[in-house]
Amino acid sequence: MPVQKKVKAHSKTSPGKDLPAVGADKTVIKSLGLSGGIFGAVPCSIDVRNDKIVRIRPLHFDSRYDPQTFNPWKIEKNGHTLEPLYKAVPSPFSLAYKKRVYSPNRIKYPLKRVDWDPDGERNPQNRGRSKYKRISWEEAATILANEVRRIHKNYGPLAILCQADGHGECKLIHAPHGCSTLLFDKMGGFTQQVRNPDSWEGWYWGAKHVWGPGLIGMMAPNDNIVKDISEHSDMVVVWGGDPETTAWGFRGQFASRLLYFWSQIGIKQVYICPDVNYSVAIHADKWIPILPNTDSALQLAIMYVWISEGTYDKEYVKTHTVGFDKVKAYVLGEEDGVPKTPKWAAKKCGVPPWTIKALARDWAKKIVTIGHYFAGGMARGPYSHEPARLECILLGMQGLGKPGVHQSQIAYVGMPRNVIGGTGHMGMFQNLSKHPLGKRLLTPHQTTPTAWGKQLVPKTLIEKAIREGKVEFWGTGAHEIPVPDQYKKYTYPIPEEEGGTEFHMIWTDTPCRQTCWNCGNDVAEAARDPKIECFVAQHPWLENDCLLADIILPSNTTLEVDDIMPCIRHGDSFQSILLMQQAIPPIGESRSDFEVVCEIAKKLDMEEDVTEGKTVEELQKIVFENMGLGDRITWQEFKEKQYYVIPVAEDWEKDPAGMYNFYKDPVKYPLPTPTGKLEFWSESLEKAFPNDEERPPIPKYIEKGITHDESIFSKRATAYPILVMSNHGRWRVHAQCDDIVWTREALTGKVKGPDGYMYEPCWINPQDAAERGIKQGDIVKVFNERGAVLCGALVWERIMPGVVSIDHGARVDFIIPGKLDRGGAINLITPEGIVSKHAAGQATSGFLVEIEKVSLGQMEAWKEQYPDAFNREYDPASGLRFNAWVQEEK
Amino acid sequence: MSKKVFVIDIAKCNGCHTCQVACKDEHVGNDWSPIAKPQPDSGQFWLELTEKVRGTVPKVKVAYRPHLCVHCDKAPCMDACPIKGAIYKRDDGLVIIDTEKCNGCKNCVDACPYKVIFFNEDLNIAQKCTGCAHLLDEGWTEPRCADACPTLALRFMDEDEAKDLIAQAEVWMPEIKSKVKPRVYYLNLPKKFIAGTVYDPVEEEVIIGAGCILTEARGGKEYRIKTDSYGDFWFEALKNGKYNLEIKNGKKVKTFKGLDTTEADINLGDIALT
Repeated sequence: MPVQKKVKAHSKTSPGKDLPAVGADKTVIKSLGLSGGIFGAVPCSIDVRNDKIVRIRPLHFDSRYDPQTFNPWKIEKNGHTLEPLYKAVPSPFSLAYKKRVYSPNRIKYPLKRVDWDPDGERNPQNRGRSKYKRISWEEAATILANEVRRIHKNYGPLAILCQADGHGECKLIHAPHGCSTLLFDKMGGFTQQVRNPDSWEGWYWGAKHVWGPGLIGMMAPNDNIVKDISEHSDMVVVWGGDPETTAWGFRGQFASRLLYFWSQIGIKQVYICPDVNYSVAIHADKWIPILPNTDSALQLAIMYVWISEGTYDKEYVKTHTVGFDKVKAYVLGEEDGVPKTPKWAAKKCGVPPWTIKALARDWAKKIVTIGHYFAGGMARGPYSHEPARLECILLGMQGLGKPGVHQSQIAYVGMPRNVIGGTGHMGMFQNLSKHPLGKRLLTPHQTTPTAWGKQLVPKTLIEKAIREGKVEFWGTGAHEIPVPDQYKKYTYPIPEEEGGTEFHMIWTDTPCRQTCWNCGNDVAEAARDPKIECFVAQHPWLENDCLLADIILPSNTTLEVDDIMPCIRHGDSFQSILLMQQAIPPIGESRSDFEVVCEIAKKLDMEEDVTEGKTVEELQKIVFENMGLGDRITWQEFKEKQYYVIPVAEDWEKDPAGMYNFYKDPVKYPLPTPTGKLEFWSESLEKAFPNDEERPPIPKYIEKGITHDESIFSKRATAYPILVMSNHGRWRVHAQCDDIVWTREALTGKVKGPDGYMYEPCWINPQDAAERGIKQGDIVKVFNERGAVLCGALVWERIMPGVVSIDHGARVDFIIPGKLDRGGAINLITPEGIVSKHAAGQATSGFLVEIEKVSLGQMEAWKEQYPDAFNREYDPASGLRFNAWVQEEK
Repeated sequence: MSKKVFVIDIAKCNGCHTCQVACKDEHVGNDWSPIAKPQPDSGQFWLELTEKVRGTVPKVKVAYRPHLCVHCDKAPCMDACPIKGAIYKRDDGLVIIDTEKCNGCKNCVDACPYKVIFFNEDLNIAQKCTGCAHLLDEGWTEPRCADACPTLALRFMDEDEAKDLIAQAEVWMPEIKSKVKPRVYYLNLPKKFIAGTVYDPVEEEVIIGAGCILTEARGGKEYRIKTDSYGDFWFEALKNGKYNLEIKNGKKVKTFKGLDTTEADINLGDIALT
């Protein structure tokens, strides 16, 4: 039992003392958010006995401190008060993380594909088909060191592609992604897969051209808007995203409390989305169902009402914006002869004209904030920059920055500031980045938000790069790169004299490209190209792209390592920093992601270069000291208590909310745009891409273009009349957590098919289901020209007619590789095309399919034809298993 | 020892399942004998979050409800158990099946009107919610489900402290309340709604402020509301039964007879008032 100090109970809501770790011999504290990287969240206490996890429970912030020292914040309105909870509020999958750690799908030791021989036949055509056999760490490290040397010699260092970005566990020292770049950076560089902002596409490729860089394109500054919205807004229009879902992996469940509080104080909540998502289900005063990817039609019609009735902020538009005349001409039909009336929009988006008018008028009368939790289906589809830009214009027409008028990623930003401060993604890490060991600690984490590799390929274009040997793109897509980068043309490979070469080796620590990105069915096919000579995956679980690899290295989970994690994401009651001690010994022969890379570095005589000779405790201490904590608590006390709650700043209430300064004085506080104003019309876009009809200088309603043809008005819609709405998963964070027994058995977790297989749910409206003879629990085939995915039918009123909803990120379980999947990985059949010609993001919601019932006879026929796929070891409770792909040892 | 009750506010239940999952985390793979032996990994729920979709597009709500042993003061399971002391009531009100004494006869499983006792075939014992008595005995003040609840919808309280809440609360299966005396109380259990949107088909405008009069077919009790800024009316918290509705705007009137909420909530859709 850890040392416990009695503190006075402060809150009725929390026991106010350290809970006894019943049945355990120690308690450690871990950040169990799943957003990955250096921004932790969701602190939990882990009780352990005899090196086994007993339980995972929310950390009680006040269990080892006097809560008064936190300087607790308070927000008051109409006689109601929102106060912090003195416990963290984890999502169910954080509390169920024991099942993840002990998953039957864990990779227990290094593996080699049975028919991949680095000294002979490599059989690339069998990637995704062949099984694996156990090898030793010694053999794996030797093979890979030799491969790295050979590739370097034959092609140069840039012939190694690092897929080393993305979400995952919150670990700083043992970064879940990017450790490979520490090694290859010191060996002459590598080709970087640049992560496009898959949850933020519209804001990134669109909104940035209206209000500047923002926070990955979303509104910034965004300080203090939680209090401001509570005090000043009459209504929050939640457009797209689902705060009751997507917040879970990032921040836990504070957003839920905030939405309840807003209802309590009379803030009306209107939700615009095709589905009764988990927020609509409990918080909506009004749900307006809209066909996926037609939001821009509704937005234009709202503008039409405001312009024709004169109910927008004309003075603000005059002083704070440029290009309104051009937008107005388009809206009124002066540009193209089509007035964007509610009647016009109704046909496009499925919202009745009377409801459009009512919404526009109610909005004009009220103080309105637009809420999101990422974009849901609203800004993740084809041409997503258009609805995102139109949203900025809607806000601009109603005085953006005025008290109560914001764009809000609900509770993701804008919570009370802490005493340490620091803004932006890297704010609190500025000192750390200057430390001599800063590079060792921060470099791996830089692979997700920035493009720092010597040669770059956007993640959306990897398969095209393999197939065609060359790609051109505009802007890297890296989260934190300045806006003008989007006007710059890049080519892969870079010129030979600069070291440019096609990549011939892939090293992935983020093996979920198939189920999380665009047109996943291309991934396996591309991986079979003989020019990919070696494919390495390091991961804790044997799933998805791992099964394309030649060598698989077992990495481990946060429960198995010592680390340190600043839980400084907004969206919990308090921010904190955790000294994360090892809870249990590593499973099998697994190593931390950092140690995996060190194993290979050793064989390349690079170990010292990678580790810089520091122990984990020395690194923990460096992080502690360089985040400003040394002034507040001693290392010794921190070590004893294992966490520190960062107090709320004394004067946080005075922070100007959101874009208030710009609202008050746009001359003194200009926006970081070329004109300093909200650019309803972008001269920069016009100059850079004068003939781009997919992302014109003013945003438009775009049904079809050279990149996409995914509208119900398309000819394709005669064969594929249903639109897919695909959000981030309720029960997963991207591909993470698909194997948790206790969430799979929730009603919307998986659907048990008549054959006993647990299928990914496909929400279907009873009307569409009846037309196709589909009943609750049936196996359904969701398909288009790009392939077919099997799901389990959830027939109900939580989805509008004409649309099916399927969360992305289920594990791939091919019956026919690249063609037919049983796992329900819907991204396999998403459009290959990027957001638009000059915007290399992904468009993975709002695309056309047809659905049909799969008979048991059909299943039997497949079973006969593809026996291997059906004979793989499978457990309905947790899904796919390690043994399914590993040859038993003789 | 003070008597304990569960007080669950359905209006604050966001359906996150952390109660159900925390229960599994505590009890699957952990042996807390003699209070509890391990809960099966899958398929049985000592606390189950139930969910129900109400209404039709676009008037849809979801109602969640945690369902668990109600720790009856007059527990039918205790009466049905043939072994003395195998099912017993603690001073704090919790009903426990002693893991050592249970002989696997299943009488209690059949006797429980709430269907919250499960039979563990592997262990040959009956199992259910224990209120995490093994934690309470070591100093916890609430079970895992309550500790994990992010909105404080699910609370475990002293009966005295909860008096005011209990006064407004309902119980599940109220028809047997006095017979079994349950210790789980719900606030804001959903009733039924009748809703719709009223519009003028010629102008293609919603009608704001249209008078809506709902009358109970039996008894004649009237409810009056006006359509809101979206032309919407929602009669909420309705009892099961038949209703007549009149919607009136100036001279335009539309009536609906015999709207029956017994089976389900009713969405009348977009109603053209001509």
